Amino acid sequence: MSKFSTLRRGIYAVWLREIMRSFRDRGQLIGGVSRPIIWLLILGIGLNPYFRGEIYGEVRFVIPFTYLQFLFPAVIVLNIMYTSILFAVSMIWDREFGFLREVLVSPMPRWAVLFGKILGGSTVATMHGLLVLILARFADVTLGWDQVALALVLMFLLSFGLTSFGVILASRVRSFEGFGVFSNTIILPLYFCSSSVFPLDPSLTRTQAAATYPEWLTLLVQINPITYAVDAMRGALISYSQFDPLLGPGIIAAGAVLFFAIALVDFQRQ
Amino acid sequence: MRGAGPRLTNGERSEVSSDAIVLEGISHRYGGRLALDNVSLSVPQGHSMALLGPNGAGKSTLMNIMCTVLRPAAGSAILAGHDIRRQSADARSQIGVVFQEDTLDDRLSAWENLEFHGLVYGMDKPARVRRIEEMLALVELTEWAENPVRTFSGGMKRRLEIARALMHEPRILILDEPTVGLDAQTRGKIWSYLVQQRRERNLTVFVSTHYIEEAESCEAICVIDQGRVQAVGAPETLKAQYGTSLIRCLPRDAGIRRRLLEKWPGAQQLSGDRLGITVDDGTSIDAFLGEFGSSLKEIQIDEPSLETVFLALTGRELRERDEVKPNARGKRNKRL
Repeated sequence: MSKFSTLRRGIYAVWLREIMRSFRDRGQLIGGVSRPIIWLLILGIGLNPYFRGEIYGEVRFVIPFTYLQFLFPAVIVLNIMYTSILFAVSMIWDREFGFLREVLVSPMPRWAVLFGKILGGSTVATMHGLLVLILARFADVTLGWDQVALALVLMFLLSFGLTSFGVILASRVRSFEGFGVFSNTIILPLYFCSSSVFPLDPSLTRTQAAATYPEWLTLLVQINPITYAVDAMRGALISYSQFDPLLGPGIIAAGAVLFFAIALVDFQRQ
Repeated sequence: MRGAGPRLTNGERSEVSSDAIVLEGISHRYGGRLALDNVSLSVPQGHSMALLGPNGAGKSTLMNIMCTVLRPAAGSAILAGHDIRRQSADARSQIGVVFQEDTLDDRLSAWENLEFHGLVYGMDKPARVRRIEEMLALVELTEWAENPVRTFSGGMKRRLEIARALMHEPRILILDEPTVGLDAQTRGKIWSYLVQQRRERNLTVFVSTHYIEEAESCEAICVIDQGRVQAVGAPETLKAQYGTSLIRCLPRDAGIRRRLLEKWPGAQQLSGDRLGITVDDGTSIDAFLGEFGSSLKEIQIDEPSLETVFLALTGRELRERDEVKPNARGKRNKRL
């Protein structure tokens, strides 16, 4: 029995357990399905008409897309954010209810345990992102296979980074109660400050250009890493980027590596 | 390790050694508090040892070190010939651990929990299927294989945990208070699985417990208090060495009672006017009977038991610890 196949089986087991648990957790599934519907079908369709202005008697969109198309990539990011960051609950659960101890006394190395868990969490988060992607037709987004493939790669990397981030949070949060607050003070603010529901530059006409966003808001959006994740998804799905098209994917990949490294250091120390 | 020459290399020597568990000079401190102070122990392969000690004695620290979750600050621990520091993965593959708290995944079925364990220990598919079937049969849970663990009773969960700990055929089984909170019948059943496995597979069992009858059925008992090993030995040896007898008697009248108390001022007042007198050996019992034998209404002599051994070594009763247990459980969950 080679060392490699032992390791592969171990990682597979930890990964599989996360997948199975997520399918048996109705609440998580319902959230994963209902969130995009609310955001896209209600908010998106509701605000669709207000996303344009008049220039010389001609009605145009602020950016050359409908609001639904503009919002669609961001909702994918939102769904991934929820599932990934709330993955910390699974970590806290395992820690509090002892399951972690069973794995920690096994011959499996700690990094492999953590890798399997994060891999499982990010697979589930990617699937939740995929749930949104299926709704593309309703958002008037037409996709080629190459676009879907690129989007999936980005979604997985983003999920991996954010799941690792959730693990880092979990190692710093002592109880379940603490976590509900965390999710609402982290996920939604990050989402709203990521140019997800409004473009960075709202100017269409000269009058609108005069009334730009206040500096603090622009600053918040620019320092928020999620901004670049949303931008990368927009680049992949509707070919619209507010920043350098390579910046978003670069930040997503860097985040995945960095957060996994920090999570690993935390986990080794525990 | 080529050729079977007469010279022994280091690796071979530890393999040859018949002791499954060897602890040498283990010390550990939390902050400034010394939890374990120079603990040395050895348990031969195929033997069983019970660890007895009051709360805060360092018992759970020692258990955590034994199951490789905690690294001791000083000293060495060798499990089945593998140093837990340098060959921790090898040591871990040779131990099965049953924790005090539930560590099953209650959303998975019994089969899935075992399957997970088998995969994590790197067992291949045929071996997993064979061992899962064997283990479920051993703990009589075959019919429940597909049921989610959530629906199991406390006793069934414990049995499944023991099945899981034995699944990868470890040479050492480490159990931390495995029968706490279970009824006497379930405790008996769990103990019978362990005895059977020990006999059939030459399994070494190291168990912390506070049930006297469980400790008594082990070959050796280690009493630990204040981080130090107070005594190690077979139950009979310990009883002979540290045990005391207790005479419970009911004097015929107040005069005799007064005389009794004058002679043994340390006598305890028991319920129903009875007196309890602690004596260490047979001659004192004879002396007592010679003097007061005819002036008593009732007399009962408690032979030396592990309870009295425990009392003599730690100054505390074993029984009172039952009530503290729920808190201890909560506290321990937090540790990892």
